[in-house]
Amino acid sequence: MSHTPDTRSQRLYWPVQMQRNRGVRGLFVVVAAFLALYVYLFPGLFSIGGVSKFAQSWFPLALVSMSQAILMLTGGISLSIGATVSLGAVIAATTMTGPLGVVGGIAAVAVAGLGIGAISGAIVVRLKLPAIVVTLAASFIIGGAALLILPRPGGAIPIWFSDLLAGNTPAALILLIVTALLWKLYLATPLGLSLYASGENPVGAYRGGVPVDRSLIAAYAISGLLAAAAGLFVAAQTGSGDPVIGTAFTLNSIAAAVLGGVGFLGGRGTMRGAIAGSLLLSVMINVMFFLGFPPVAQYVAQGLIIIGAVALPEITGRRGPR
Amino acid sequence: MSATESETTRFPPRRISALLRNRAFLTFIIVALVWVVAGFAKPGFGSFGHLRYLLELAAVIGLVAIGQTFVVIAGGIDLSVGAIVTVSAVGVPLVADLGDPTGTVPVLIVLAAASGIGLLNGLGVAYLRVHPMIMTLAMATFLQGVLILVAGGSAVSAQNPLLHWFGNARPIGIPAGVYLWVVVSAITLVVLHATPFGARIFAIGANPLATALSGVNTRTTTMAVYAIGGLTAGLAGVLLLGMNGQGYVGIGDPYLLASIAAVVLGGTSILGGSGTYAGTIPGAILLVTITALITVVNASPGWRSILFGSLILALLLFSGRESRGR
Amino acid sequence: MPAPIIAARDVSKSFFGNPVLRDVSIALVPGRIHALLGENGAGKSTLINLLSGALPSDRGTIEIDGKAVAALTPAAARNAGIAVVQQELSLTSSLSIAENIGLGAYPRRYGFIDYGALARRAKAVCDMVGLDESLSRPVGDLPLGRRQMVEIAKALFREPRVLILDEPTSSLSAHEADTLTRLLVKLREAGTAVLYISHRLNEVMRLCDHVTVLKDGVVTADQSLAGTDADGLVRLMVGRDPGDLFPSWTATPETETIVSVEGFSSGPLKDIDLTIRRGEVLGIGGLVGQGQEDLLLGLYGALPASARRASFDGVPGIPASVPKANALGLAYVPADRKREGLHLIHTIAWNMMLPQFGRARGLSLRNRGKEKALALDLADHLGIKGDLTRQVQALSGGNQQKVALAKWMPSDPSILLLNDPTRGVDVETKREIYILLRRFASEGKAVVLSSSDTPELVHLCDRVAVMREGKLAATLDRDGLSEEAIVAAAMGAEEAAQAA
Repeated sequence: MSHTPDTRSQRLYWPVQMQRNRGVRGLFVVVAAFLALYVYLFPGLFSIGGVSKFAQSWFPLALVSMSQAILMLTGGISLSIGATVSLGAVIAATTMTGPLGVVGGIAAVAVAGLGIGAISGAIVVRLKLPAIVVTLAASFIIGGAALLILPRPGGAIPIWFSDLLAGNTPAALILLIVTALLWKLYLATPLGLSLYASGENPVGAYRGGVPVDRSLIAAYAISGLLAAAAGLFVAAQTGSGDPVIGTAFTLNSIAAAVLGGVGFLGGRGTMRGAIAGSLLLSVMINVMFFLGFPPVAQYVAQGLIIIGAVALPEITGRRGPR
Repeated sequence: MSATESETTRFPPRRISALLRNRAFLTFIIVALVWVVAGFAKPGFGSFGHLRYLLELAAVIGLVAIGQTFVVIAGGIDLSVGAIVTVSAVGVPLVADLGDPTGTVPVLIVLAAASGIGLLNGLGVAYLRVHPMIMTLAMATFLQGVLILVAGGSAVSAQNPLLHWFGNARPIGIPAGVYLWVVVSAITLVVLHATPFGARIFAIGANPLATALSGVNTRTTTMAVYAIGGLTAGLAGVLLLGMNGQGYVGIGDPYLLASIAAVVLGGTSILGGSGTYAGTIPGAILLVTITALITVVNASPGWRSILFGSLILALLLFSGRESRGR
Repeated sequence: MPAPIIAARDVSKSFFGNPVLRDVSIALVPGRIHALLGENGAGKSTLINLLSGALPSDRGTIEIDGKAVAALTPAAARNAGIAVVQQELSLTSSLSIAENIGLGAYPRRYGFIDYGALARRAKAVCDMVGLDESLSRPVGDLPLGRRQMVEIAKALFREPRVLILDEPTSSLSAHEADTLTRLLVKLREAGTAVLYISHRLNEVMRLCDHVTVLKDGVVTADQSLAGTDADGLVRLMVGRDPGDLFPSWTATPETETIVSVEGFSSGPLKDIDLTIRRGEVLGIGGLVGQGQEDLLLGLYGALPASARRASFDGVPGIPASVPKANALGLAYVPADRKREGLHLIHTIAWNMMLPQFGRARGLSLRNRGKEKALALDLADHLGIKGDLTRQVQALSGGNQQKVALAKWMPSDPSILLLNDPTRGVDVETKREIYILLRRFASEGKAVVLSSSDTPELVHLCDRVAVMREGKLAATLDRDGLSEEAIVAAAMGAEEAAQAA
């Protein structure tokens, strides 16, 4: 009797998970193909060092893509992710060698990320301002705060901590897996799963007894936490803080989330898709590097690939204006 | 049904109270208040020379924001305007003048190219159904790469008489750029509010499906809207080049967020379907005024940025609230 | 009679000074199916919102189990066992059926959703409403009727003592509606109080025990249904004799064909032969979602379509786009007027001008004076009252539908395609629309009327084409036209209906 709920649970939980894979299977195939190409070009990938290096180049993009994907699931979009990454980096670089220490620094980054996210979320949700505009204004405020903390590149991260995260260890890969698993756990809570309903159909969800505001603000807070954490990692990678290091992440996070099939209307898309999207972008950049593309050509190719990836389903399976 | 109702019950005249709820008008009032207060509080702020300078700066933002207003009312957003400003500012010096002593030909070529870029955005949005944010973001990324390949990292200067005039001449004491802005603004307002084409833009933004089923060719209208976005960004770029004397990669970057901010401050719904360029005009002036005031405060760049963001947020709370109803 | 679970006593509610409900009382008693009738705008939705705590009342009290509740909140209403199935669906398309059913009331285990318990309980309510789809299927995959059933299952999941259903059958197939009827009878036996809102009188007569009729925010009847007839109910709703809902008309003699298609295919439609004649109202019948909409949209150039042979008013081929269809004299009135027909945030006058904006070429200027005159003319013609500079969303459903029709009048179309134009429209407006359609046909133009309301097809149409699974199941002529014949053809009972 005691184990029946578990088998039943698997009968619903796992089929639901399989259904969520449907939209991203094509993407997984493309990612696998690019990975295979990459392995072919760079056989050294199959080593602890190779995997570690690759995961480190991918990890911050994966985090910001998740951060953006969560916000897009709420039906919004964030233009302040880059600034939050910068803020996370400068907080880490100014606290970790001080009296707070590494643990205190991590806590400070986490608090800053959660706080920024929660406040932005509260403004969007409670004051009914559009997310794109609020996060646009927030990007100035957050970026300004980063400049206040560290007006020019500087600060430091303890060497041992940098080595642990961004040295010759697969720490980034492990952290990414842990992050993804934690998200899965969150989605298995009533509040977490409510995000989909609150994002897609807030009125209906509210009528049905979903704490819409709470689930949206929680999503914003988690989004902020992930972006700030990406900043911490970037600081560990470079060994110091830079108040504008995160700028490029805003647009890249949107690109990766969209490649991963996350929609703009709220409630559409999956975190596994966003992570796969960031992996695709990351591998693409690496492959182009190995093929000897000049760095600027990456921009050109990136632009073309994003449009291609989004437009392809439309070209192949088109219907009328419905 | 019985008796025909009079025209005044069918089309009641607008009341004064409606004007006070008009966001474009409110934004004008805010600008006026800020100018009056700052003029008294800070000597020099209210001088003709300073206000003229502010308007000149606002003209560039205002031009970029014309296209942005069109696109946002049509329910989209254009994240490539910054890159297009750069393309035209960097492009003019790179284009051969074909022996035209006035410098008009390169400007026209660059404006055509800018419109073409906008048209491509429109093609992607209308025919490939790529979300506007993605289409224009990818376009911006693409242009950024092309610009670095073509222009490299160094600044280019133009010896273009036409642009030099637009950037520096002051007929009757007012900068030529401001005249340009006034003329283009007048055209914009007419197109938006007095033509069927303008009505179609509002229709698409409010409900694209119902618009298509009402017999509106939504695709050509969408493409035209994005082409206008490219054209006015290009116009801003050449004006900027004239004022600056030189162009460089990245010169247009600040104008992306500024154009969105001006549109939203002016009361145009970011969700599409309603708004007016009459609000974007004071929105652009408000933006440069805020920036100028913050500079006057003599704070560090960090504080300046924080103040700027907070003021935008505060103004939005005041005038930009809208139901997020879907 | 058992004591009511929830009751409203003399409640009133105004919006912006306009009274919507005046001293309304209603009592929902366990084991009774209570019908709430009234035209659109009579205040039914407002009353539901008061009972479910979504809106506070201005005056009067809401009592739950005999105790007055000061300010009923949605949460308090839910906790008291009141569940509402709203007209607008509250589902999340990317979540599975089970996750939707449990939403807002998930069984928990250590803070996580207990998927085992969820599966078990969701299965139980799905069985009750006859949903046999896999519980893990995303709701977005389901057709509209099935989603409505999920919505009902979601309400049942909370084991409500009071179940309020707002027009639950408007998107259900006959089979699904039958299942719902049986379910409600079962709930009645189990002692649930049911409040049932519907525009379909025969449904109400068959199913309900008691009726409350609202007219202009006032209760005009609160009585047992036994011994009442449908005409009496209509009289109570409309406040006058129902007369004949359908106008009398004479069939136009056999006239020339205006549209003919052979081997027409569009989306799920395969190989359809159809002719439309001048002066007729051609009905399109069938169960919900058999391709009726694809047929109309395909003819209208809004969906890609192909045909072996086609001719529209003498022009060969199918219109390739909506503007081309308009140029050929076609006009389309969609079923979902809020999503497909109207621009809710724009004014009434503006909405009526939209097709004109679409036709204008180049950068011509608008003529405000002419627009005003035209809007005035249309509003008078169709009986749309009051300020035309109001947003369309301020209008009742019936008046919105009039605007959706009115906007085509200046284009003077010769072929009018209508997709369920009377869905959610009050009786009065229905009649006005019927008169309009027949008059339109009598002017030598053609009307194609797709409808889920079978009496409408029988009483208004010259011929009815019945669709089933993307094909024409039968075309019934005037003398073979009856509700039975349409239903039989729709269900595929007799292939021979054509011959009848």
